[in-house]
Amino acid sequence: MREDEIIKLEDVSTVYEGESRPAIKNVNLSFKRDDLVYIVGPNASGKTTLLETINGLLPPFKGKVSVFGLDVQSNGQKVRCRIGYVPQDFMVKPGEPYKALDVVLMGLYGHIGFLHHPEAKDKKSALDAMKLLGIEELADRPMGKLSGGQQQKVMLARALAKNPKILLLDEPFSNMDPDSRGQIPALITQLHKEKGLTTLIVTHDIHHMLDSCNRVIVVSNGRITFDGAPEKALSIVEDHPHTTSLEASHH
Amino acid sequence: MIWLDYAIMQRALIACIFAGFLMGLIGVFVVRMRLSAIGYSMSHGAFAGAALGVATATNPLVTGVVFASATAFLIGPIADKARLHADTITSIIFPLNMALAFIFLTLAPQVGLSSQVANVLWGSIISMTSSDLVYLVSLFAATLAIIYFVWKELFAIMFNRKLAEADGINTRPFIYLIIFLAGVVITFSLKLVGGLLIYALLFNPASTVLQFSENMRKVIVYSPLVGMTTTVAGLFISVLFDFPAGSSIVIVSTIFFAIALLLSPKRRRKEV
Repeated sequence: MREDEIIKLEDVSTVYEGESRPAIKNVNLSFKRDDLVYIVGPNASGKTTLLETINGLLPPFKGKVSVFGLDVQSNGQKVRCRIGYVPQDFMVKPGEPYKALDVVLMGLYGHIGFLHHPEAKDKKSALDAMKLLGIEELADRPMGKLSGGQQQKVMLARALAKNPKILLLDEPFSNMDPDSRGQIPALITQLHKEKGLTTLIVTHDIHHMLDSCNRVIVVSNGRITFDGAPEKALSIVEDHPHTTSLEASHH
Repeated sequence: MIWLDYAIMQRALIACIFAGFLMGLIGVFVVRMRLSAIGYSMSHGAFAGAALGVATATNPLVTGVVFASATAFLIGPIADKARLHADTITSIIFPLNMALAFIFLTLAPQVGLSSQVANVLWGSIISMTSSDLVYLVSLFAATLAIIYFVWKELFAIMFNRKLAEADGINTRPFIYLIIFLAGVVITFSLKLVGGLLIYALLFNPASTVLQFSENMRKVIVYSPLVGMTTTVAGLFISVLFDFPAGSSIVIVSTIFFAIALLLSPKRRRKEV
């Protein structure tokens, strides 16, 4: 693994239990510290599997995943403490007994460590992350009473509160209103630049934030079918208006 | 309250306070982690153990605890191995324990469904001994200490296990710990209401408090208090009306839940 490689996947295939077809197949990828990458592709193409294989939530059936130079399978907890993750379509039902601030603070629990309790500085980190996203007034609100977009911001604050080195975001803006869809991606770009945060964003919409990312990866049927500059990806998409056409046109 | 002058009733009252509190506390985790079948499996594990104890002339409480603990200890790893929810595995182990209990009882046909075994199944609060209370109080202290130290992990797992893993918590040992603690607490509380009614003590206090609170910290404080109030009130009612203690406790706790359901502000609409 080269020194500037933060994430490296070597011939990785991930198969869900009970399945015989790999969700991602023979993937070879590496990501550098200053990467801000968009991962696009049709439904069930393997985008979420790719993210969850990187952070070790899904064990690879074949191949090796290294993050910060550590094998994710044997160092899962240690690695995940430094990765901020926002899952796809995460919604808390009304009536669930969790305040928004509690949910953000939970992002720090792995960091705080076993047998230790959150301290004032941890609570401040959680509140700072909420402030950054403009949702500090939601701190004491029950999570289940927030709108879909507000809940997504809380989940993003949870991912940012631990001061991660890597951000893995799975359709993080899908429920946000138009204003937030403009502001929050801009904030992610700013954090990426200021903190050198390696950022991987899964999306259906390739037109989002293309000006701020340096790389686009297209996943189709579990394989990487395009990996290159956003300008090139965009020019192909302009010729083929659907994202799914990107891989076909590229090959 | 002349009945409180009797040592037997004093022990019953102390048992109600500690067991009611513990069941209300553990119930929060059981309800939130969706481990509802655990109550059935534990109580019948204890029943099978007690039957074995009677058949082999060993203390039924000891064999009951061993059996229920073994059941609790096995559920988590088997569920992980089978890739099934812990609830499904407890539902498989539950009839197995019953089958074993019946076999153990036939091994000692002269004993049959002896009072000792029946005590485990239907409860016998007045058979609480001083040593039962010592075990119960020790378990109370140990459970509180354990939950205090691992509260943050349990809190995160109750919210969402996958997200807790994503944030660097190894969730598996904590799930096993709660299953094991639930098993031990249920076993030591069996004399209160018996294996057939114990689920009410496990689920009702947490479900009652969850009707009112949207703050898990309050739920974890109030649920044990509701559990304790339920058992003590049930004991008083059983003495006043000469009803079985277990049945009285269960009826009180169900009434508490019904009232909470009616008064819950969660479904109320209000204009601001």
